[in-house]
Amino acid sequence: MCVKCKAAKPSVTIRRILYCKQCFVRASVVKFRAAIAKSRKRVDWPRTKVLVAFSGGAASTALLKLTADLQRMERKGTDAEPPFTAAVVGHIDESCLFPGDQENVIRAIAAETDLDYNSLALEDAFAPEEGRAALLELVQASMAPGTVRDQIYARLVQPALASGSHADQLKALFAGLESATDREDMLDIIKTALLLRLARESGCDVVLLGDSATRVAVKAMALTARGRGISLPLETSAESQWFHDLLLLRPMRDFTAKEVVYFNRWTRQRSAHVPTFTTGGPRRASIGRLAEAFIVELDQDFSSTVPTVCRTLQKLEPRTEALAAAACILCGFPAEEDANVWRRRLT
Amino acid sequence: MPRQCDICQTARAIIRRPKTGQRICKECFFYVFETEVHHTIVDNRLFSRGDRIGIGASGGKDSTVLAYVMKTLNERYDYGLNLFLLSIDEGISGYRDDSLETVKRNQQQYELPLKIVSYEQLYGWSMDAIVETVGRKNNCTFCGVFRRQALDRGALMLDLDHIVTGHNADDIAETILMNVLRGDIPRLGRCTEISTTGDSYIGRSKPFKYAYEKEIVMYAYLKRLDYFSTECTYSPNAYRGYARQFLKDLEAVRPSAIIDIIHAGEAMKVADSVQLPSLTSCQRCGYISSNAVCKACTLLEGLERGIPKLGISKAARHAEVAATDAPTIRSGKAVEPVHFERLREKALEIRRQRLEGAPLPTAPADSESCCGSSCACTGDACS
Repeated sequence: MCVKCKAAKPSVTIRRILYCKQCFVRASVVKFRAAIAKSRKRVDWPRTKVLVAFSGGAASTALLKLTADLQRMERKGTDAEPPFTAAVVGHIDESCLFPGDQENVIRAIAAETDLDYNSLALEDAFAPEEGRAALLELVQASMAPGTVRDQIYARLVQPALASGSHADQLKALFAGLESATDREDMLDIIKTALLLRLARESGCDVVLLGDSATRVAVKAMALTARGRGISLPLETSAESQWFHDLLLLRPMRDFTAKEVVYFNRWTRQRSAHVPTFTTGGPRRASIGRLAEAFIVELDQDFSSTVPTVCRTLQKLEPRTEALAAAACILCGFPAEEDANVWRRRLT
Repeated sequence: MPRQCDICQTARAIIRRPKTGQRICKECFFYVFETEVHHTIVDNRLFSRGDRIGIGASGGKDSTVLAYVMKTLNERYDYGLNLFLLSIDEGISGYRDDSLETVKRNQQQYELPLKIVSYEQLYGWSMDAIVETVGRKNNCTFCGVFRRQALDRGALMLDLDHIVTGHNADDIAETILMNVLRGDIPRLGRCTEISTTGDSYIGRSKPFKYAYEKEIVMYAYLKRLDYFSTECTYSPNAYRGYARQFLKDLEAVRPSAIIDIIHAGEAMKVADSVQLPSLTSCQRCGYISSNAVCKACTLLEGLERGIPKLGISKAARHAEVAATDAPTIRSGKAVEPVHFERLREKALEIRRQRLEGAPLPTAPADSESCCGSSCACTGDACS
């Protein structure tokens, strides 16, 4: 029998606990609200507009629905005010690199929530933002002359600044990157930068990201494998204030991929297919793909894997050197000054 | 046109270095491998002049190469260290007896004094006996816990200042991944430390922390070093196997991944708000412990009383509490471990004698048993 209502027949097992449809959906909504409330307690933020990062995939669709419902909900008592003054959808259009007609589907899904829809395309990374130079011109301008700068210039900036439309420049940039791991990395960097820009342009101080627990665990493994321990807590935590003017929250962090999928299914929420470079590819295509294959398979044998990794991550905090470090021009996270010295002594 | 070595540009390149992908000649490979270990030792200030160092020697590739490289660097850069081989006999027939023969050959080949201590001698239980009682699951726990203590006991018997083990980069990377996957926060905070020191136990270091396992094998092969390379007969489906497979896949995608994982692990910091276990001394044997009774004593007690899961599963502790009234049948196999205070006293005595110049052989007369005057174990523990 369902563990909560003890009346209906169970329809799903989550981490060895049985739920019926209704109780599961209700429990998910409660869990989402609790996540926002807990974040509130840890980092109190003034009530403001929130940007809901929406890729169209399963988890961000669930995030969108839960947020929209939360804002609309009738409430009383101490909880009378919705957590945000208003919510805005933020989408990054990737069709330049992944052609297809997902964009219409995505727009339609978002339209069901009646929230304002703002979007930027990937190639807009080359369009100057008000007050800030285009992403990659910054790279060129800020680096001291020398072989390292010349290498980066040749690999990243040169193809990107070649003439042509922004879309062509984007394609040239990605064509110049050698490995799928690097391409996925660059895609993440650009998407994050554009999302933050969307938030600022829409007047939002808080951004909701749809990283599910499974995604967080996979990300942690991939970041570790790439040597990014210094920014690991910042890129996976439930609340992140690293970007001073924007607070990033991950309220879906307690939902495993399975829970997301069942929630969408039973609330009749459709989502779009959001591919990346290695989607459906062999496991060794990139570090990200490998990490995903590893965690998903391990979680099948040991169902506590994903929650344990998330819990472990939550107990880590950034080092003082990390918090004081300068931000990397490309990805915006803390840059380690002496990493090269360390590496040279050992290789 | 044969390719020239990437480093010296003179000799012909015969190997591709796993760590960096460079194509280099044999001599350059030896040089970079040894120099990186030298940098690791020097940058982390692992030793002081005059230190007596015990090399944990199993006869396997890591410890054999470690012994060879330590000796080479000690001479080349004049560290001024006194090196000893310290070997543990867990009592696994068909595996350990063979690898111990390798260690004895190493003793001859590298001209380093050797001491062997066995579980049978220290605790009264060999691994064969343990596996018979416990089964094939969880037996690695026994071996690991006992070995840790056995190394410290052996080190005190020789009055050593420091122990070095052959843990390589692959081991450390796997451990980091495992600790994240299993949520072992205390270990995660410690596992990237190259050196662990403390007042109440012998410091240990891992000079091979940044050395790739593939390179250690390559080094041993090219130098024609003598080592033993079979897996432990009780080696099971340990959880580590999953992390190991992931690591091997990562290495195939990007060879620098192993070092990158260690770099990431070094940057991980446990939040200050997290409670970590405090350290105290075991009530029974005086070894360092986070509980009243150390893990080794707990496991030993479980073996004695026929509750082999004591110290492993929580259910066993309840069974123990329930059974305290009924008279338990003890197996009588266990030897009361010598208390660490006694071992430390003996070690200090040896040290005093040594500093006063009393002539002592630096190695036990017979490497099989330790009943020589240079040894700090008490007569009754030497059986």
